[in-house]
Amino acid sequence: MAVGFIFDFENCTECERCMIACSLAKTGKVLLAESRIRISRSWPKLPVISVCRFDSCENQPCIDVCPVSAISNEDGIVRIDKDVCIGCEACVSACPYGAIGMKDDIAFKCDFCGGDPACVKECVTGALKKGDDE
Amino acid sequence: MSSSMFDTILRINLKEETAKEWTVPGNVREYIGGIGYGTKILIDEVDPGIDPLSPENLCIITVGPLTGTSAPMHPQTCIVTKSPLTGTILNCYSGGFLGAEIKFCGIDGVILESAGDQWKLLLIEDRKVTFVPAEPVMGKGTAETEAYMRSNFGEDIRTMSIGRAGEKSVAMAGVFSETRTFGRGGAGAVLGSKKIKGIAFRGTKGVDVADRSLFSQIVSRNMEGIKEACSQEYNLVGMFSRVGTGAGVGLINSKGALATRNHTYGNFDKGSNIDGYAYAKNFYTRRIACYGCPVHCGMIHTFKKQNGTESWLRGPEYETMFSLGSDLCNGDPVILAEANQICEEYGMDTLTTGVTAAWAFEMAGKGLLKEPGLKLEFGDADSILGLLRKIGEREGIGGLLALGPKRAAEALGGDSINTAMQIKNSGFAAWMPRRMKGVALAFATSNRGACHKRAPIGAEIMGHIDMDTTEGKPLVVKGIQDAVNAIFTLITCRFHEFITEHSVYPEYVTAATGREISPDEFIRIGEKIWNLERLFNIKAGFGRKDDILPERCFHPVLGENSENAVMEHQQFEDMLTEYYTVRGWNSEGVPTKETLDGLGLEEYIQYL
Repeated sequence: MAVGFIFDFENCTECERCMIACSLAKTGKVLLAESRIRISRSWPKLPVISVCRFDSCENQPCIDVCPVSAISNEDGIVRIDKDVCIGCEACVSACPYGAIGMKDDIAFKCDFCGGDPACVKECVTGALKKGDDE
Repeated sequence: MSSSMFDTILRINLKEETAKEWTVPGNVREYIGGIGYGTKILIDEVDPGIDPLSPENLCIITVGPLTGTSAPMHPQTCIVTKSPLTGTILNCYSGGFLGAEIKFCGIDGVILESAGDQWKLLLIEDRKVTFVPAEPVMGKGTAETEAYMRSNFGEDIRTMSIGRAGEKSVAMAGVFSETRTFGRGGAGAVLGSKKIKGIAFRGTKGVDVADRSLFSQIVSRNMEGIKEACSQEYNLVGMFSRVGTGAGVGLINSKGALATRNHTYGNFDKGSNIDGYAYAKNFYTRRIACYGCPVHCGMIHTFKKQNGTESWLRGPEYETMFSLGSDLCNGDPVILAEANQICEEYGMDTLTTGVTAAWAFEMAGKGLLKEPGLKLEFGDADSILGLLRKIGEREGIGGLLALGPKRAAEALGGDSINTAMQIKNSGFAAWMPRRMKGVALAFATSNRGACHKRAPIGAEIMGHIDMDTTEGKPLVVKGIQDAVNAIFTLITCRFHEFITEHSVYPEYVTAATGREISPDEFIRIGEKIWNLERLFNIKAGFGRKDDILPERCFHPVLGENSENAVMEHQQFEDMLTEYYTVRGWNSEGVPTKETLDGLGLEEYIQYL
């Protein structure tokens, strides 16, 4: 399985339904502060989308930088083990995509919903697709 | 049981610079949210006779049960206040992301009380309020003010602001929120009177619903319906999703109903230069959505200004294509975009501002108005752009026009009032009462003046009902006024209602809040709000004498396809009388005691 997203920035309308869907999937509520994908506006320029690139992230620096080996790559899905994380934020600084957030001193990031990301299903313009969709 | 509402509103006293959490009482919660909360609070706390720009006025900012949830097409925020433009009660709305962020603060709204001594910015983080001096942004445009707040408070805030027009109490000043606008009725001047230049929100709370499973089912069904509508070639909302609200200009023009040259003509020969398709074809276009909206009708266009500089605009929207386009005989898309930018910079409603400018050009053509350095001619770029700035600055002739079209005409005197296309001093929206008789009644009886939000526009223009007859219109208009007021408790985008069964709204309320409510009961709340607004206006001095159309509406529309459409005085009066009857109001337009009793509004009998 190819793990990652294909972005069509020109067609991203910045509606944030991906963020809504992500936070619902992860917290049960609409809680955008805990969404694993974030859209940043830069009108009239295209938006910046902050989310883990998985296979497309060349060195996956978050894994190496973690002092307690809380981050691992299992079949392409890069995950944080929250029971091991010590909240040092080294991964937050190391991530080239601004894709790692903090909640209660524990790091969190996209886990690709185990292979069926909720965000992708919610995108009405096809601006966000699964890496193996095409 | 959890609910999507927090039952808490922040009351901010601007004079004392204090904020307190107010638990929303049951008799307000009955009104669901949005316009319902705002109207109930305003009528209970504000004397309708006050000066709207006095500290006694409240500026009530509300959201509803679907705000900040996953329900599509519910991004908007509502402001209720007494309008400085009309003197009536006002409710106005802005899309964007503000509403969701207010909800994420863990509140259902904010009430601004009293007025400050110094200009301030407010930073609202969850339920904590910080007063920040506004000195660095005084005199600045809305975009600049909001950029300042982002750079000082953080990029993750959502904002609302006023421009120079709001600072200077221009009667048609709006409140802007990241290019979306609380346009109608002069809410910007109210904010200005309270010395608030801008408000920033940053929320960290989650929004839950009472029944997650049911809510998610309704959302999925609703999303499928919207996607289906958007995929249809001739569905109006589908067209909006492709090229924006300006998609409709061609249709209206072909029906001889596109108000042109101060509502003299119903057809604009350059209409196809400035419609949504023209902008999409001739300018770089990017579709931009409000919070959670799959329709994405906002269009960012980049363009080169007359002076050669590269610029961009989100818009213009359909209504502005009329008010700063056809009504001013402005068929140049660049001049239209620049005119829109001036309104955005100064923070002014494009509708009433454009309509007032159109009237001024007509008066200037008759030699009744003049302004040094401006020709004041229809279609002349310098006249259009120059006059808009004069209004925003209250400078020269702009001082007169900043009062709004009715008050300006009253000051000018003679028969100039006959061609001021306004009702209760609010400029017409882009629809011609002579062509569409239901629109005529809706404009005349609107509680906020010349309002298109509760008019049977779709039904008349698409031919579902005969647009030229007055027959049956009173019942149609009452129905739409009540239904739209009901959905504005949820602050539903009007376009949602075009493509969604009304039965979904009470279902949503139940799933979001746990409150069981029948479709009839839901609509009845809309009717109650309509009557409360009417009572407020009656006590403010309004009545049948104000539910009128300007005299121009009783003369035929000129131009292609307009069929010389006209409204007859008697025809209009008969329609109005019948409307009062179906509302349960007396012949002066005052609700009867029986009507108030029937609606459960006995406590307001002293308003009669």
